[in-house]
Amino acid sequence: MIELPLFIDLGDAAVHTLNGIFRGSILFMIASGLTIIFGVLGVLNLAHGEFYGIGAFLLTSIATFFVVRIAAPTDPLSTAIFAAAIVIAVLLSAAILIPIAGAIEATVIRPIYDRAEMYQLLLTYALLLILVDTIRIIWGSQPVRPAAVDGQQIHAALDVIPMEELFGFQYSSVRIFTIFIGIGTFLFLLWFFDRTKTGRIIRATAIDREAATAIGVSSDRVFTLVFALGGFFAGFSGALYSVSAIPATAEMGGTALVLSFVVIVIGGLGSIRGSFVGAILVGVVWSWAIAEYPPAEIAAPFALMILVLLVRPEGLYGAWGEIE
Amino acid sequence: MSDPLLAVTNNKATVEGFTVTHGVDLSVDEGEAVALVGRNGAGKTSTFRGIMGLTPLAEGSVKFKGEELTELRPELIPVRGIGYQPEGRDLFTGMTVEENLRLPIWTSGKARGVEDEDAMVESILDLFDELSHRRDTEVQNLSGGQGKMCAIGRAMALDPDLLILDEPLEGLAPIVVEELKGYIQEIIDRGISVLIAESNTSHVPDIVEEMYVIERGSIVDNGDPKELTKDPDIQELMQGGGN
Repeated sequence: MIELPLFIDLGDAAVHTLNGIFRGSILFMIASGLTIIFGVLGVLNLAHGEFYGIGAFLLTSIATFFVVRIAAPTDPLSTAIFAAAIVIAVLLSAAILIPIAGAIEATVIRPIYDRAEMYQLLLTYALLLILVDTIRIIWGSQPVRPAAVDGQQIHAALDVIPMEELFGFQYSSVRIFTIFIGIGTFLFLLWFFDRTKTGRIIRATAIDREAATAIGVSSDRVFTLVFALGGFFAGFSGALYSVSAIPATAEMGGTALVLSFVVIVIGGLGSIRGSFVGAILVGVVWSWAIAEYPPAEIAAPFALMILVLLVRPEGLYGAWGEIE
Repeated sequence: MSDPLLAVTNNKATVEGFTVTHGVDLSVDEGEAVALVGRNGAGKTSTFRGIMGLTPLAEGSVKFKGEELTELRPELIPVRGIGYQPEGRDLFTGMTVEENLRLPIWTSGKARGVEDEDAMVESILDLFDELSHRRDTEVQNLSGGQGKMCAIGRAMALDPDLLILDEPLEGLAPIVVEELKGYIQEIIDRGISVLIAESNTSHVPDIVEEMYVIERGSIVDNGDPKELTKDPDIQELMQGGGN
């Protein structure tokens, strides 16, 4: 018999919600790439979650490399140096995914653009399985964390901002930082696709590939760029997640992929705004379920998806195939 | 006689394995305006797409300024100096008129030697003055005629030597047809070669010097546009009595 709590402590409620926004921020960085890749290339990349997984594992290795070489944070200066090293580790992890994703697009995905969707799904599914095994071969099958610093996890060493004094309850400053990164990524992508030349060339290619070719756009290059960009943000997200005390596992990419589907269906396929709103909603619902009723952890986001599909079949921001 | 600007020889375009043009030959000289007329489905669009590298050719050659285009990647063809207005209008929706005009310059302006982006955009908007006060309008909100103007303007943004227009007058009210013909005449007067597809023979004779008639993927006649449109066989063909 499961006991539902009669009332929820306000501090708990805030923590669940913040955890949800944190998970939503992570999810957004994965789902936005998935949705942009679908919007521009027309391919639903089932292996996209693995870019996130690889980013998380890369972070464990790169952060460990730094952690064992630099001083543990004890005072503001050493904390700043330590934090900078972790930021570099996160960016490096994400950057490594640029050539990985780019090469995968150019060699494996490119030949199948004109094939039926079933081929694309089968091929990217095969890619997913291969990448999962690659992760197992490199990092093993056990959950992996970065090396501890003076017996504590990286995030604990970095959680020095006194959240309790600021907000009245204890919360991880690394997670708050990740939330801001998620919001920053969202604003960056909006600006990139709305204002920059490259962003608008990508949109033009998504809207009408042939008309874009007829003004001199190499769709091959655009597609590789978009795939690499998606890989970067997924890897970035995985690395950030890894910093926040959650061990990297070979299965994490699969879970992320499934939840990203929920996010982009809720948000509307191809919509960046939709992915953001969808990711935050899914993250919050997911986190509340984990905290209050764990058996519904996966069912809750999907129930939300069904609800949205019934009320608004095109998603909250229906923009099928066009980035907005 | 010098070589033509564009020489299409024995073009056989294929769509999903089916041959849709059966050896089209046509040529456009420097500064010349040429029409390709034929009924819907006669092969006008396939001919143009074959030139632009968007539809693969099973056989044939497309020479532009003496260079073989069929060996080029399709995105390099506009950079050689061909502006293309696809059938329909195929504008970049969700973006403004101005963005649609600037996009070609962003992608290939440097390669085409378009130095001053703003000046190029202004010169296009000067030509299509009706478009100039809708420059900030998203293209899906334009009228049919304005949409065609924007599509032609986009093709002109790379300062082309040859402009290929696929049915620019299709589906427009008679008054708008006249207006657009005026714009196209102005483009021809600027010395740009124009290859224009039409399914209505009465639209083009007064603006082009040469006319090709296409039917079932083959050129059936070519010559002086005014003479050809009077030819009873051609009239019958264009009205659908050719079967």
